[in-house]
Amino acid sequence: MKTSNLVSKYNILFFIILIVLIAFPFVADSRTLTILLTQIFIFSILAMSYDILLGYTGIVSFGHAMFFGIGAYATAIMLNTFEATIPVFIGSILLGILLSALVSFFVGLLTLRLKSHFFAMLTLAISGLLLVVAEKWRTVTKGNDGFTFRAPDIFKDRIVFYFCVLACLVIVFLLLRRFVQSPLGRVLIAVRENEQRTRSLGFKTLHYKVISSVVAGVVASLAGSLYAVSLRFVNTSVMTIDITLDALLMTIIGGVGTLIGPIVGSVVIEFAQHYLSGLARDFPIFERWIIFFGIIYILAVVFFPKGIVGSIQQALTKWKMKRANNRTFALQKDKERSS
Amino acid sequence: MDLLISLVINGLATGMLIFLLAAGLTLIFGLMDVLNFAHGGLFVWGAYTGVLTYTYTESFIIGILVAILTGVVLGFIMEKLIITPVYGNHVQQILITLGFMLVLQEMIKVAFGPNAIPVKVPELLAGSWELGELIIIKYRIFIIVVGFLVFGIFHFILTRTKIGLIVRAGVMNKEMVQALGINIKKVFLFVFMTGAALAAIGGMLMAPYSGSIYAEMGMEFAILGFIVVVIGGMGSFSGSLLAAILVGLAGSFMAYYVPFLSLAVNMILMAVVLIFRPQGLFRTAKE
Amino acid sequence: MESLLKLHNIQTHIGQFHILQGIQFEAKQGEVSVLLGRNGAGKTTTLKTIMGLTPASSGSIYFQNQQIEKKPTYEIANIGIGYVPEDQGIFAGLTVEENIKVAMRKETQEALERQDYVLTLFPDLKKFWKKAGGNLSGGQKQMLAMARAFVNDSKLLLIDEPSKGLAPIMVEKVMEAILEMKKRTSIVLVEQNFFMASKIGDTFTLIDDGRTVHRGAMNELISDDDLKHKYLGIG
Repeated sequence: MKTSNLVSKYNILFFIILIVLIAFPFVADSRTLTILLTQIFIFSILAMSYDILLGYTGIVSFGHAMFFGIGAYATAIMLNTFEATIPVFIGSILLGILLSALVSFFVGLLTLRLKSHFFAMLTLAISGLLLVVAEKWRTVTKGNDGFTFRAPDIFKDRIVFYFCVLACLVIVFLLLRRFVQSPLGRVLIAVRENEQRTRSLGFKTLHYKVISSVVAGVVASLAGSLYAVSLRFVNTSVMTIDITLDALLMTIIGGVGTLIGPIVGSVVIEFAQHYLSGLARDFPIFERWIIFFGIIYILAVVFFPKGIVGSIQQALTKWKMKRANNRTFALQKDKERSS
Repeated sequence: MDLLISLVINGLATGMLIFLLAAGLTLIFGLMDVLNFAHGGLFVWGAYTGVLTYTYTESFIIGILVAILTGVVLGFIMEKLIITPVYGNHVQQILITLGFMLVLQEMIKVAFGPNAIPVKVPELLAGSWELGELIIIKYRIFIIVVGFLVFGIFHFILTRTKIGLIVRAGVMNKEMVQALGINIKKVFLFVFMTGAALAAIGGMLMAPYSGSIYAEMGMEFAILGFIVVVIGGMGSFSGSLLAAILVGLAGSFMAYYVPFLSLAVNMILMAVVLIFRPQGLFRTAKE
Repeated sequence: MESLLKLHNIQTHIGQFHILQGIQFEAKQGEVSVLLGRNGAGKTTTLKTIMGLTPASSGSIYFQNQQIEKKPTYEIANIGIGYVPEDQGIFAGLTVEENIKVAMRKETQEALERQDYVLTLFPDLKKFWKKAGGNLSGGQKQMLAMARAFVNDSKLLLIDEPSKGLAPIMVEKVMEAILEMKKRTSIVLVEQNFFMASKIGDTFTLIDDGRTVHRGAMNELISDDDLKHKYLGIG
């Protein structure tokens, strides 16, 4: 199969979109849209990290928010305690990554040996626990109220921040794509498909699952750090299950196991959130827009488990196969006629 | 001493409410291998429909009956529409039941408004008894009695009736039950609907206990329910009672002595059990 | 002898594995029909396919002129096919009494009479009536499993490797029990133990790599050293 053709077609598409995104701030002059797109980028990073777990390794985690929260708080606290400069900012990102790596490593080591149900419940409990810690540790986190802080001056310009986040998104995407296409990534996919069999082939599946968990945690932490800076504010909402659910929804609706899917999902959901909230002001029914998403999500899980991107990929493959079949059929007919 | 008794009664009452939620959850998991993340939705819907009926008709009993009806109907819909389509696929199950939980929670807000609704204890059960210095709140005793009653009835059904026997056998080996000529899918539906009804009753009984109902209470209580199911052993009915009492008491004592740990202690307990003894503390041999 | 069960070109897939690649099989009334073959040949899968536990991907199964390959397991059981799986399928947490009770669909006079009959066949079960199934010995579990399958007036019993893991004296008892049950029902037996199979079997069907390779009367097979060597690795 001409995979190289497929890939290069995708690459062209990526470039076009990238160019559009880069040009956008210079062409359009919409503050709301810039902020919205920045949020989309940030959540895309979060959703991609979730896809590593769910889409590529087949792990359902309900505690993903804790890594996002760790990153957010690390950045917020560091920028608040020390000077709001770029080095401090980068230092905070690294701190967040380190903490998340440690937590995801140890939590993963202890819990990933359990069945999927147990793991889901445990992650729910642990992240709930961390949320309580964040709420009660007021001296550090100021609890529910949270606190504002100064971001590095250079980010005062929304457009600079926009590019910074976009750059992060592109880099993370490329790195993750490399990751899932590597031999390691293939083992993860094997684990997702049939863990027992992968184990019987000699792979220590626990190790691979922990690696996947750490990678996901680290990326989520980065997203959290960026998020904190984008708001210049942090409170316990960064650790709630809503964040995990956002990531989950985006990944499922966009398409699990595709890496692009979560990005698409992020676009869909963030835009929808934005416009539906806007509509809600005029038409109160839209206040409960989350129900629509819940229902779409349920339908997606049952009927379109591949999400938007996956379904498109599937349709494309089918169409290509049909075309190839038709061609061979036509060729055959010609042969028959001529003989 | 009085304090001790008070805390114990408190703990037992809370424990019983959690038991009502957890009992259904554990049987559903033991029999169907389905972890119903939407079980909390049944709890909160039972509470709302029951409370509103009770407020409207001034009859607590009718409220409870309506709650049971809600549980049964919702349970039926859920089993057919949500659970059966993803049967066998754990990941999809987890995802879809969680999604449905959210939908159920949001639907409460759509149907009944986003604000908490205050609930009064029914006259007959209101007030307290005074034994010297000790004050015993009547409603809490009521909950404890109901809890033990429900346990007794279901224990009887499980151990002395044919359907109970089939359910127990199904928990141990579903395939064999089918091979013996029993349509396990019907049994699934029955157990699911029963579990749903129990959760709904729990929600309804919880309402006067806590004084108000709100949409998020389903999810909050469900987490406690999961903790109980894990500690008690997945699929163990008596285990869920013992674990519920344990969790209820732990929460009650912690809330008094070390308040900021009260929420955490149960989660820590669950984490410890999951990591070191995943089959539960009170589990009898499943196979 | 009347034909009771017929399998035509049965193919079964488990996941992506093509386990059964063309099984032809027939069981006649009043006989013990034995399924023989090496480990992994597909004998257990054949029984599971008949029972509907691993449904056939193609082919047809006739039981007393009814087509059953698309029916759900419980319906197949209710038409009159009983199943004794390889691991006996005993409900470990239930007592012997309860195990049999689950199996008994209706507590009719007939059923109770069959229960009595089965208890005379397996007196040990009566002794351990209130004991938990999980606490029985291997041989007793096998007895219980067979008693359970029998108590329902099944017209055909599918028994999977009953002698596995049993001491020789228990194997003798199992053989006796099967010969006794043969008086009232027909049996499809999967056995690795050729000695036992040859003693109580009437016909044999050899399976190799998921396909039927040979069929015939048991005494034919006993004297055919080539076949035994080629497909069973013995003699």
